Amino acid sequence: MLGYLLKRLIQMTLVLWVVSVIVFMMMSFTGDPVFMVVPIDATDAEIAQARRLLGLDQSILVQYWKFLTNLLQGDFGYSYVFRQPAMTLILERMPATVEMVLVAMVLAIVVAIPLGVYSGANHNGRMSRTIMAGSLLGISLPGFWVGMVLIYVFAVSWGIFPSSGRGDTAEFLGLRISLLTWDGWHHIILPAVTLSLGTMAILLRMTRAGMMEVGRQDFMKFARAKGATRRDVLYKHGLKNALIPVVTIFGLQLGDLIAFATITETIFSWPGMGKLLIDSIYRADRPVIVVYLMLVALIFVVINFLVDIVYTLIDPRITLK
Amino acid sequence: MKYLSNSAFRAGALGLAIMATAASSAFAQDKSVMIGLTSDPSHLYPLAGEELSSNIMFYHLYDPLVKRTAQLDFVPGLAVSWETVGDTTWRFKLREGVTFHNGNSFTASDVVYTINKAKDSIRPNLVANIATVTAIDDHTVEITTPKPYAVLPNDLAELLILDEEYTTETGDVQMDLKPMGTGPYMLEEWIKEERLVLKAFDAYWAGAPKIKKVTFRPITNPATRTAALLTGEVDVIQDLAVRDVQRVKSEGGFQVITRPSLLNVVLAMDTRAVSPTIEGDNPMTDQRVREAIARAIDTDAINKVVMNGLATPSDQFVPASHIGYVDGMNFREMYPVDIEKAKALMADAGHADGFTMTLDATNNRYVNDAQIAQALASMLAKINIDLKLNIMPKSNFWGYIRVPTAKSSFIMSGWDVPAGDAGSMYGSLFYTRDKKDGYGQVNRGSYSNPKVDALVDKADATPSIEERDQYLQEATKLLLADIPMIPVHYEQDIYAARKGVMLEPRVDKFIWAFDMDVK
Repeated sequence: MLGYLLKRLIQMTLVLWVVSVIVFMMMSFTGDPVFMVVPIDATDAEIAQARRLLGLDQSILVQYWKFLTNLLQGDFGYSYVFRQPAMTLILERMPATVEMVLVAMVLAIVVAIPLGVYSGANHNGRMSRTIMAGSLLGISLPGFWVGMVLIYVFAVSWGIFPSSGRGDTAEFLGLRISLLTWDGWHHIILPAVTLSLGTMAILLRMTRAGMMEVGRQDFMKFARAKGATRRDVLYKHGLKNALIPVVTIFGLQLGDLIAFATITETIFSWPGMGKLLIDSIYRADRPVIVVYLMLVALIFVVINFLVDIVYTLIDPRITLK
Repeated sequence: MKYLSNSAFRAGALGLAIMATAASSAFAQDKSVMIGLTSDPSHLYPLAGEELSSNIMFYHLYDPLVKRTAQLDFVPGLAVSWETVGDTTWRFKLREGVTFHNGNSFTASDVVYTINKAKDSIRPNLVANIATVTAIDDHTVEITTPKPYAVLPNDLAELLILDEEYTTETGDVQMDLKPMGTGPYMLEEWIKEERLVLKAFDAYWAGAPKIKKVTFRPITNPATRTAALLTGEVDVIQDLAVRDVQRVKSEGGFQVITRPSLLNVVLAMDTRAVSPTIEGDNPMTDQRVREAIARAIDTDAINKVVMNGLATPSDQFVPASHIGYVDGMNFREMYPVDIEKAKALMADAGHADGFTMTLDATNNRYVNDAQIAQALASMLAKINIDLKLNIMPKSNFWGYIRVPTAKSSFIMSGWDVPAGDAGSMYGSLFYTRDKKDGYGQVNRGSYSNPKVDALVDKADATPSIEERDQYLQEATKLLLADIPMIPVHYEQDIYAARKGVMLEPRVDKFIWAFDMDVK
């Protein structure tokens, strides 16, 4: 286990380093950030001054070296556009995103797993076919369209939910959490539903496929024969064996949504961090992009590590080496 | 129903005169407004950078020496009066009894501090025309310019005055989060990307603001912005999407407010003998070819088809409110759309068969910019100019087209001069390159006309606004005849608000709650 952790840690450091190199190299192709900061009619002297203030007057290698040495001292650099610490900019927007993604994922699991088990066990039933058709819709409808329709129907036409924003929040451990207030829940429903649809559909289909596969196994018949109830057979014997690929996909989706929930955030003007990434790309704001993507890489590494641990819980035959 | 019960309540309360007065004054104290902006501000510290949302916040929190009104007139702000003493020296009398939000009083040393601080900041252009600044006494400052400069007060409208003591203590990074000015509003709360709340500064020198609480919400997606207005979550929105204009107008209870902006979309033509994207000699060195291109571009059609009628074809390089505008001259009447005439001009110039070149344009900077570029390509095809399109996001664009314009022949960009004066635009865009420091730095077509240069020099050498206007008008006439650049149109600013919101759109787009009222 210790060896496994160490190996993971080395892997992670390597991944983070590679990400930082790639982003640094990429950013030299996406336009000069100085021109996003100075006015169009700036003179050469004014541009030179801006370049100096932003630390862009040195060669890319020197800039990278500075970035790395500062990083080791816990300084992640300052945004060119905001002139604020890049890490602060990201962290102050992160709780909103994580919160929305968690609600969306819980929603996805609560709906997808039972429906997946049901339609896997009764894969020829009419109900099962309706569920499958619905899941196809969930996969193929683009999120921005679903979001717009939900706003139009539930906010503009019926006035049940607010169209956008985060609503009231309550403070918990220094973080602003909207799940602690009624108004916050009121605001989070539409974006969370929009965000969950795609994942819900994928999880549902994975669960169904797994259940159909497992359903043909001998141990299912034995379980039935020894007198276990249908419910126990499906959930204890069946689902547990069908779950490995579902957990894998779940982990990947979770990371994906935390990092790139941009579209949902933009449509519902949800104050999360996804929009920051897109804005920063438009403004060639390299310090923010580098730190953001490194943080995302870290999130993926951590989630995958957790997924590995969950594997061992689901299937005792799997051990971490 | 709500209105009915309200008025019923009021009718009932009429008898109780005291109660009614108490109720109405309590009502008046609670005026507030929610404004939906297109983006969250990047800055609350004016020397850290600027864009529209930040500018909107700046003018709520701080004041300049000279104030720019909604109609682009320049009136006393923190300075009550100013005069020139000699050709390059200005004396500004400062307003007395003004305090910052923290209670510090505003004095001449704050002005000196702000100007010197700006010089070393990322925005030195704010004070580019200031050589020195000295405090004569607590409420008088003397500013000298490097050369006579008649429109210094207009420039100062962009310089927002900082509190020396507070700014020094707080430091640049924290200033963005904890602003401190003399403006009509103070920062109450700023939750990034969610809301920014301002509360009235009742000791404001121009009187306490009528609206006591202003909340700005960034709503980037245009359709969501419209939805937030229609559901009553916000009272006013900026930049109503063109496709939603009819929708909002058709709802009772809402109003759509438009006004032409200052942003002139222009086409710069390369006038160098050899141009980067044109094979052989550059035909656009010939005025006849430039005129032919101008006559082939149908701005009315662009307005109708691409802009849904929400643009104003431009008549000159600057709007009528500006110094340097010539009354009665109109580019559209000088060069009306006429394909036959345009073809004849091309033939006269020896280019009847046309030529091929590339247009550089953005796809996320101006309203429908990429579609305008496509329309231009089909219009120029009629006079045998094969226009290739090179369309890119703005993050790449500004560096790509930058002087010395090594890759471009034909560029679409926008230009606005909120300072109300054509001088800076002509000096940057039309002055011969590399002749004089600070001139011609955005002359992307390498245009060079000694007469225009001389007129700009004269304009920048006179301390008299009238003379400056005369020289710049002469320059305007020369430029409209020579066509180094084709003015296309001014975009329209479109706002929507619920009825009961009094909003006069400002020419410079800086929504200002101090001038607004709500019922």
